Amino acid sequence: MIVGIKDSLKLFGISVMVCCAVTVCNLFLNFDLDLRAIACFVENMEALAFYDALRMTTKVVCGVTGACLAATTVVMLVFYIKHYIDRHAREIGILKALGYSDLKIAKGFSVFGLNIFLGCLLGYLLSLLLMPMFYEKQNVGNFLPNLSIKIHWLLFLPLVLLPALAFGAIAVGYSLRKLNQSCVNLLKGIEKVKGKNRAGKDRADFVSEMRSSVLRSRKVLVFFIFFSSFIFSDTILMSVSMRDIASDMMGIMIFLIGVVLAFTTLYIAVSSVIRSNQKSVAMMRVFGYDAAACKRAVLDGYRPASYLGFAVGAVYQHAMLRIMVEVVFAGVEGVPEYEFFGERGPFRKLTEATTLYFPTKTANPWPPN
Amino acid sequence: MIEIKNLTKYYGTGEARFKVLDGISVRIEAGESIVLLGASGSGKSTFLNVISGLETLDEGSVAYDGKRLETMSEKELTAFRRDHTAFIFQQYYLLPHLNVEKNVKMGADLDHNKDFLPLLEAVGLAEKRKKFPAELSGGEQQRVAIARALAKHPKVLFLDEPTGALDEKTGRLVLDYILQLQAKQGFTMIMVTHNANIAETADRILRMNSGKIVSDTLNPRKKTAYEIGW
Repeated sequence: MIVGIKDSLKLFGISVMVCCAVTVCNLFLNFDLDLRAIACFVENMEALAFYDALRMTTKVVCGVTGACLAATTVVMLVFYIKHYIDRHAREIGILKALGYSDLKIAKGFSVFGLNIFLGCLLGYLLSLLLMPMFYEKQNVGNFLPNLSIKIHWLLFLPLVLLPALAFGAIAVGYSLRKLNQSCVNLLKGIEKVKGKNRAGKDRADFVSEMRSSVLRSRKVLVFFIFFSSFIFSDTILMSVSMRDIASDMMGIMIFLIGVVLAFTTLYIAVSSVIRSNQKSVAMMRVFGYDAAACKRAVLDGYRPASYLGFAVGAVYQHAMLRIMVEVVFAGVEGVPEYEFFGERGPFRKLTEATTLYFPTKTANPWPPN
Repeated sequence: MIEIKNLTKYYGTGEARFKVLDGISVRIEAGESIVLLGASGSGKSTFLNVISGLETLDEGSVAYDGKRLETMSEKELTAFRRDHTAFIFQQYYLLPHLNVEKNVKMGADLDHNKDFLPLLEAVGLAEKRKKFPAELSGGEQQRVAIARALAKHPKVLFLDEPTGALDEKTGRLVLDYILQLQAKQGFTMIMVTHNANIAETADRILRMNSGKIVSDTLNPRKKTAYEIGW
């Protein structure tokens, strides 16, 4: 079959992404279920405030991490399949010419579900390993003495098995849609140039023409580049803020997820841009364009998207933290103030992050101890 | 002038190592049109790639007006290709997301040539300059490749089976364009082909076999693309 385990392994980035998502979600969901079980034992006001804040944090983190990473994984998987079909158009054309049905070829793409399964499984096991430390860090000062770890094995189903099946189905469904094209076009490797792609302005020089054409032909990559810098800026800033507002552990966890997610997305996007323009770059080199000109033609068009991603990521992080502090934790005592230009604001944190200066906890620590 | 001395090239390593070019020495004068003729696997395409600086050589030397390719760095080789050479391949290798005009601009820009539209007229594609490669026939695509190559005013034009993917009628048309432009512009032309008939259009015919030049003959009566057999 055209799609093999080896091809599936190239989706390592997606496995890493779902691994992160499942690690975080299982830690927090398991924690939330254990918190629910001790609700009746929480009596004094201070412990109750702490309990409520923990549950709220759990919901926010699970929702944001789960939804964000699941959406990104779907987009990446779909993008990878599209790219895979474009690159293997001739082999697919031969199979179709020999009489293979679209469904039979598409079924081969279900192997990508294996990546998701392996990533989810690894994430699940990793979360079990981290759980004792996670519980200890979350229950700072032993505010909730009745809280103990109970592994909720049922979470294995929605966090490992269902995603693998769902993503396998998405892979088959999407590839089936993509395979619905003329056998001759596939064999000849004819790429459709969509109407929108054609409307390019005349530019002064060839490198600018090429840059604009690369952008128009791979618009979805603009999103990925934007997304990777957005995630990088957002999570780095959030991780620093989390050290002050939540705990060191949360900060480190968000920092690691952010770095892995940002670099995985960036790697997939950049390698896709380069792979899909390999022939064009080769011809440019044959004609005497130097490496710098090729880089300008193929990659520089994405630069504004990355700058925008950084800026929007910083603003988004600020907005999220404000919502968390002013809406989610409204009424909870002891939550520190958060200002955009203030001590815990993104500008200050960005400076700290870029200079690799991580401040020690400031006054007014939270949760209180 | 291109001076090639004792050119040797190996492929593979260890026991699988074999000599693909075996001590070739030849001298090519400026403005000559040369056809490299040989069966598949005789080493003609490798020879073309090595003397054009696309591939490195293992032994010997290739010198353009005294400048030796094998001593050049990658940067110098890029500059050499930019200033001296152009290529036309069997598979055209046009940029699929750029229209005809912009594909030609790729070559023209390297020579700061803003006036490349007459070239499109010369290859009969002025009216199709806004079309994309996928909308053109094989012959038209190859004519775009010709215009792209010549728009940079190369001193040496390398062609690797330029009519190999075309039918007879289109092949003759494309070959005719190439020969006419060569006669008009006077660049050196080195064409690889396995079609002995096409060799009759060149000034000089180099026959290759097993990595060696087995005969080097001058063609006393050059024929046009429409006079040769196919």
